[in-house]
Amino acid sequence: MSRLALTAEQHVDAPPAAVFALFGAGTGAGWLFDAVCDRVALGAVVTLQAPMFGMAAGPVEILGRISAVRSPSRIEIRHDQPWRGRLRVHVDPDGSGTRVRLIADLDDAGLHWLMRRRGFSVPDGGVEGTHPVGLLTSKSGSASVFASATENLAAMAVEEINAEGGIRGRPVRLIVGDDATDPRLGTIEAWRLVHAGCRAIMASTTSATFTRAAHELRGADVLMVQPVMNEGGMGGGLRVQLGERPESQLRAAAAPIMEVAGGRRWFLAGNDYVWPQVVHSAARRVLADHGGTVVGEGFAPLGTRDFAPLIENVLRSGADIVLSSFVGADLVHFERQCHAMGVRERCRSLALALDEPTRERIGDDAASGMWGVSGYFEQLPGDINEAFLRRYRAAYGAFAPPVSSISESVYEALHLYAIAARRATDDDAVSTARELHTSHMAFPRGMVSVVGPETMQQRLFLAEATPGGFLVSRAG
Amino acid sequence: MAADEAFDALADPVRREILTLLAQNDECSAGELSDRINRVGRTAVSSHLRVLRTAGLIAERRNGRFRYYSVDATGPAQDVIQLLQELFQGSLDAAKAAVETGAADADGSIRRAM
Repeated sequence: MSRLALTAEQHVDAPPAAVFALFGAGTGAGWLFDAVCDRVALGAVVTLQAPMFGMAAGPVEILGRISAVRSPSRIEIRHDQPWRGRLRVHVDPDGSGTRVRLIADLDDAGLHWLMRRRGFSVPDGGVEGTHPVGLLTSKSGSASVFASATENLAAMAVEEINAEGGIRGRPVRLIVGDDATDPRLGTIEAWRLVHAGCRAIMASTTSATFTRAAHELRGADVLMVQPVMNEGGMGGGLRVQLGERPESQLRAAAAPIMEVAGGRRWFLAGNDYVWPQVVHSAARRVLADHGGTVVGEGFAPLGTRDFAPLIENVLRSGADIVLSSFVGADLVHFERQCHAMGVRERCRSLALALDEPTRERIGDDAASGMWGVSGYFEQLPGDINEAFLRRYRAAYGAFAPPVSSISESVYEALHLYAIAARRATDDDAVSTARELHTSHMAFPRGMVSVVGPETMQQRLFLAEATPGGFLVSRAG
Repeated sequence: MAADEAFDALADPVRREILTLLAQNDECSAGELSDRINRVGRTAVSSHLRVLRTAGLIAERRNGRFRYYSVDATGPAQDVIQLLQELFQGSLDAAKAAVETGAADADGSIRRAM
């Protein structure tokens, strides 16, 4: 893989300390120096809002963390979205002023992402002699926050599958598509994966993308798997939905959260698409069973950045608990604004999609009082999980994004797919799908059993956000 | 190729579909493209092809009274590298402007914002 280093340079009539202090201060000093981060410190997460395709298109969020910092001269950022790379900022004395240099590494994957986004065709390369599998993920848009580690873990699973001999004597080749958290673009990318020869697609996206792509690709002979938590209802034929279901998550979390909150009044708030809608209808059933009441509900479209009107409704409702069904960057912004507007003093928050990549971007202070519930957190005990995390860190380094149920589920889905494809009587999608319906394996989250096209049996865990991570306990 | 022009050219779903078809096939005639795009008529496809060609995203080859289209392979990598270069330079220019117009206090300290 080739790697380019791009540089930019500027002289500033001010001392280095003044230039350095600008970083992360939010003073309107351009997209790089206006980096959003709670601390300029080693390991702190950073979001850069780069106006990559003109102002009209909205910024592209570069998600990373500070991998080196030396005041007042050096800042290094390792980023994972929309591609993996490194940005180095050098601040050096230059006469009576300062010389600022920016050095950016760009590899083939980054170059190809940019070229595709600009509408250029980038050949996917030949797939002869391989077993091509697609990964549809979100490298940009709101969902890129929870998808930070997804591609890493898919690549790790493929490496392990290939070390075991691949599928029917052929190595698996992973071809990646980016839905940009947009169902329409997701469908176009899914077709690209099909035309590149993919036998199956792991769609680790929002359900908004999965449902549309799964429907529009109905004529294609391709197995589509949704590994991440979802509402179900589309499984059958060549469609398999794994992941946690809202009803199970809510049944596991409702009673303990009400006990912690010391109240039973809930406000339901989420993004306006199929998964949050199903979460809320399930919540009305589950909460009624547990003696809870719903005192308000509100939705906001994916990509919303100002939640103030909705949060005012939350405050007026007198709720004890907010069920937050936002995802990715929307969840980050909603929760940070809840914290800033005083919601935390009155309410606890349960967010079914709360995972570590999202929690760390909400920040330690704003995430305090939040709870998540899912089948996997990094903190889970067990040899399998320990060895898994060790391999992940060895492959991707200390600054790679944390693993979550959402990213780990793709790792599992690829392994389950490989087992099913090897076991299938015929080397085709229908036969593989049938085998997938009865697969099971011990994973980092524990034993997982697939039962039919849309049921995955697994343990669930409750997680309370604490500074630096989660306090995890077995649910139920 | 003008960056904004290319972006505008891609904003339309039909034009994206045309590019996808061209990416899958080395070359297509205008008629073949129209046959495979059902949501708009032949005239609309022609005007979309004109927009894509003006934006430098596709190349046109004439053979008698037929026109054939393909994805323009010249310079896409150069295009995105230049785009990034401008993006990076722009960020440093903005930082310079902010410092030199006094966003920073004399002692180098800056009020941290959320």
